[in-house]
Amino acid sequence: MSRILEGKNAVITGARQGIGRAIAEAYAENGCGLWVCSRTDDEAFRKDMKELSEKYGVDIRTIFFDMMKEDEIKSAAKEILGSKIPVDILVNNAGATCRSLFQMTSMKTLRDVFEVDFFGPYLFTQLLLRAMMKCSSASIINIVSTAGLDANAGRSAYGSAKAALACFTRVLSAELGTKNIRVNAIAPGVTQTSLLTYDEEQLAEIVADSAQGVIGQPEDIAGSALFLASDSSSFVTGQIIRVDGFVL
Amino acid sequence: MKSLEGKTAVITGCLQGIGRAAMDMFARNGANVFACSLKRTEEFENHIEELKNECGVEIIPVYFDMMDDESIKSAVKEIQKAKIPIDALVNIAGTDKDALFQMVKMDDLRSTYQVNVFAQILFSQYIVKLMLRHGKGGSVIFTSSISGLEGRAGQLAYASSKAAIVAAAKTMAAELGTSKIRVNTIAPGFIDTEMYKDVPKETIENKIKRTALKRMGQPEEIASVLMFLASERSSHITGQVIRIDGGKGV
Repeated sequence: MSRILEGKNAVITGARQGIGRAIAEAYAENGCGLWVCSRTDDEAFRKDMKELSEKYGVDIRTIFFDMMKEDEIKSAAKEILGSKIPVDILVNNAGATCRSLFQMTSMKTLRDVFEVDFFGPYLFTQLLLRAMMKCSSASIINIVSTAGLDANAGRSAYGSAKAALACFTRVLSAELGTKNIRVNAIAPGVTQTSLLTYDEEQLAEIVADSAQGVIGQPEDIAGSALFLASDSSSFVTGQIIRVDGFVL
Repeated sequence: MKSLEGKTAVITGCLQGIGRAAMDMFARNGANVFACSLKRTEEFENHIEELKNECGVEIIPVYFDMMDDESIKSAVKEIQKAKIPIDALVNIAGTDKDALFQMVKMDDLRSTYQVNVFAQILFSQYIVKLMLRHGKGGSVIFTSSISGLEGRAGQLAYASSKAAIVAAAKTMAAELGTSKIRVNTIAPGFIDTEMYKDVPKETIENKIKRTALKRMGQPEEIASVLMFLASERSSHITGQVIRIDGGKGV
């Protein structure tokens, strides 16, 4: 298969595991240079990324920062901007999940979820935009959630934060269209990652409510992230694409 | 490997515009194509010959009239006779007859629905039956329009028929999910095709001014989304409507 992101560079947050990891591999496989971001530095992640880099012959740089900490976000952005490597693609994937009934959700939990799922990506995007403006075209992809679009009990904090990120996606698409920067979101349904908070019984119920009758895999989300990063989606902007096997 | 290598797609409306761009792109990415059209022209047949030679794939022209159920049936028979398993059905052919609500003639309304709704469903019924028979699953794509989602003055027949096909597609997605057949709809915005050739330049400029990218889309930019939806990359996407409109902010 021809490498459809050859010569491009992407920044992916939350790249250590799950959806972020799958996106990193799909991009690397398609010739894309990467900045892979994770909260904590450890050898296993560096080694994993080094192997990806060798396997696909692309440059991969690791960078570590905490989405809860403004100063860390700023210094990470500074490092990326300082490298002078153009940023053609930004994937805001890192997030915090939370399931808690409305009456049981403390303001601290709510603020923490918004910090990681909304304020952090907002600031990070603002800072990286300078590097993206220099590209002839660029693509921003926000990983939201069907929980931000639907009414699921226990999702008042997480769903609202993802809804905020979805709205941010659409507003940004309107502001950046003339700069030839496209902004889209992917709304995964229940996806097989370590963040999965459901027990087997709950999963069976969720699956029964979907047309395909299966939960998603990280690679399913990566397929859409590849599409939205590539020129295949050159006339698609401001969209929120559900990747959920059609929850009924 | 190309992204549609070894796959076979049935594409309607291949004579021009979006359908033509889809046929070209699918073939160049390794897919065999049943290229459906109402009209047979020398240019079309020559183009198919050249494309076949260029891409090393099978391209079989199929001619039928979506106004006529019998014509649809015999087209399906022709497709079936080729004995090539079908992986994707891309429904692009459609009709557009504009008139204000008070001026819409019932005959025009009915013929619009025949082509944009009834024929789409009938043809898909047959092709999905073939997909179910080989059991490998597949991808069915319908073409709606942003006016089918939002309505537009002067487009009662067209817009409402394009809304109807969205609900039909979602229903099919719900029914066919466990058979591994995905069903999605695209909703193009202002695309540089024959459809807008009689629309005054000023009207188009006013319309695209309100989009994020501030330009018309090219047929190839729709074809590339169709390729994504036909490919394995979208394997968990079904029942969705994908807007390809350069960002409309609504």
